[in-house]
Amino acid sequence: MDTNTAQRILSRNRARRKLIQSLKYLIILATSFLMLYPLLWLIGASFNDGLMTGFSFVPKNFTVQGWLDAFKAPGWGSVEGYSLFRALWNTMQYVIPRTIIMTLSTLLVAYVVARMRFKGRKLIFALIIGTLLMPATIFRIPLFVFWTSDLLSPLWEGSNLPFMPFLPLWAGSLFAINSFSVFMYIQFFRSIPRDLDEAAYIDGANKFQVLYYVLMPMIKPIIITVGLLLFISTFNDYQGPLIYRGDVDQYPLSLVLPMLGKDSTNTYAHVFTRSIIGVSLPILVFFLAQKHFISNDAESGIKG
Amino acid sequence: MVGEKKWLPYVLLIPWVIGFLVFKLYPFINSFYLSLFEKVSPIQSDYVGLANYARLFSKTDFFGQQFINSLKVTFKYVFFTVPLVLLVSLIIAYVLSRKIKGVRFFRTAFYVPTVLGANVAVVLLWRELFENYGLVNQGLAVFGLDPINWFGTAAGAMTSIIALRVWQFGSTMLIFLAAIKNVPDSLYEAARIDGASPLKQFTVITVPMLTPVILFNGVMRLVETFQVFTSAKLITNGGPLNSTHVINLYIYEVAFENRNFNLGSAMSWILFLIIMVFTIIIFRSSKYWVYYQD
Repeated sequence: MDTNTAQRILSRNRARRKLIQSLKYLIILATSFLMLYPLLWLIGASFNDGLMTGFSFVPKNFTVQGWLDAFKAPGWGSVEGYSLFRALWNTMQYVIPRTIIMTLSTLLVAYVVARMRFKGRKLIFALIIGTLLMPATIFRIPLFVFWTSDLLSPLWEGSNLPFMPFLPLWAGSLFAINSFSVFMYIQFFRSIPRDLDEAAYIDGANKFQVLYYVLMPMIKPIIITVGLLLFISTFNDYQGPLIYRGDVDQYPLSLVLPMLGKDSTNTYAHVFTRSIIGVSLPILVFFLAQKHFISNDAESGIKG
Repeated sequence: MVGEKKWLPYVLLIPWVIGFLVFKLYPFINSFYLSLFEKVSPIQSDYVGLANYARLFSKTDFFGQQFINSLKVTFKYVFFTVPLVLLVSLIIAYVLSRKIKGVRFFRTAFYVPTVLGANVAVVLLWRELFENYGLVNQGLAVFGLDPINWFGTAAGAMTSIIALRVWQFGSTMLIFLAAIKNVPDSLYEAARIDGASPLKQFTVITVPMLTPVILFNGVMRLVETFQVFTSAKLITNGGPLNSTHVINLYIYEVAFENRNFNLGSAMSWILFLIIMVFTIIIFRSSKYWVYYQD
C-alpha cells in the first residue's frame, strides 16, 4: 500500500467521521427545536392580538393587553373578586402540603426499611414494590366513597380553612403512601455504605442523628428530585381536583384554565397569557432544582 | 448494637401501615366488593355476582359496546405510545451520551416538556396547535402538504394525543442517560478497535447492556399510559365518534359523572387485571431478552 492510498483511506475516514458528527448535531438540534417550538409559540401568541397565523412565533399584531389583564377577574365567574391569583392559591393549598409532607414521610419510611433490622422488613419491602405497579384507578372509587361519607366529608367539603378543601388529595402524604418515592429513597440508601452509620453510632449518635447528620446530606440530590417530581405531578394534577371539586372559588388552576377559552371578553392573548402563567411555575421550580437534580446523575458515584 | 430499641422501627412504621390499610388494601378490596352490586336506585344496590363483568363484555349491552370500544382505543394508544417513547428517548439519550457540545442545554431542552407533563395549559396549547389553522398544519404547508382535519378523524385525533405523550419523553430519557453512563468504556474501546461504527456500537453494546432499564422503563410507561386521562378529556373529549374514548375517561364518566360506582369499579378491576397480565407477560418474557451482567 503506497502512501497515497493510505492518505486517501485516512481522509475518507475523516470525512465519514465528520459526517457522523454533523448528523449527530443535526438530530439533536432539530429535535430540541421541535421540543421547544410549542413553548416559543405560546410566548409569541400571548403578545399577539388575534389568532396566530403562519409558521412563525413572532407576533404580527403586537399587544401587551393579555399580560396587563393577566390577573384581573377573567369576566366569566359570578364569584366576586375571583382572579387567577385565587386559582394559584387554590393550587398551592393542594401542592404545598402534599409535596412537603410526602417528601419527608416517605424519606422516614425508606430509612426504616433500608437501615433498620426488624422482623417483617421483607414483607413491607415486598408490599412497597407490589403497590408500585398498582394503577391508581383501582383505588379511586372506594376512596371517593370513603371521603364523601357522612363521617369524613365535614372535614373538607366546603371548608374555609387553608389546605383543608384539598384534604382527600393530600391526606395520603401523612402516611407515606407514595411507593415510588419510598422506592427511590431505598435504592439510594442502599448505595451508601453502612460503615458510615456504624462510625456515627460509635461516636454515640442515635438513629435520628444518623439520618439527619450523616445520611440526609449525602442523599440531598434525591430528596430534591423526589420533591420536584411530587411538586410537578401535584401542580399538574387535573383528575384529582376534578373529582373532589367544590365551589368555583375553590377551583385550582388546572380546573380554571380549561374554562377560560376565547370569548367576548377574553382574547387569544388573554388565553395564552394565562397558559404561560399555568406552565411557568413548574418550569421555574425545575430550573431552581435542576442544579442538584442533574448533578446527581452526572456524578453517578451513587448508583441506583 | 448495644441498647438498640427493638420497638423503634415498628413505631416509626405505624403511619405507613395505617396508610397501607386505609389507602391501598381497603380500597383495593372494596372496589372488587362494589363491583359485585348493581345500583337499582340512588339509595339501593343489589348483589348481582359477576353480572357487571358479563355485561361489560356483552356486545348487545350499551355499556358493553362502549367499554369494548374503550378497551380497543386504549390498547391502540398504549401500543403506539410506549414503543415510541422508549425508542425516541433511547436514541436521544445515546446521542447525548456521546461527546457533544452544549450537552447541558440539550438535556434541559429535552426535559422541559416533561416538566409540564399533563399540565392543563399545555394540553390546551396542544389543542390550538392541532387546530385547522394551527401550527402543525402550517408546518405541513411548508412541505407542500395538505392540512389535516386532526380532530375530525379518528386517526388524526389519536395521533394528536399520542404526539403529546411522545413529546414528553424526558424522564425516560434521563433514566436511560444515567444507565448509559454506567456502561463500561472498555466495551466501546474494544468495539472501536474492531472497527465498529457508532451505529453498530449502539445496537451491539448499548442496547443489550440497557435491556434491564428498557424493561423498567417499559413497564412504568405501560402502567402509566393505560391510565391516560387529561389529554383525552381536554383535547378530544373522547371524540370524534368515541375514537379517543380511553378507558380511564369512560370510568370517570360512569363513576363520577353518572355516580355508578358499581359498574365503574368493575371497569377499574378489568383495567387492573389487564395491566397485571401485561406486566407479568413482560417480566416472564424478560429472561429471553434482558441481559443481566451478574
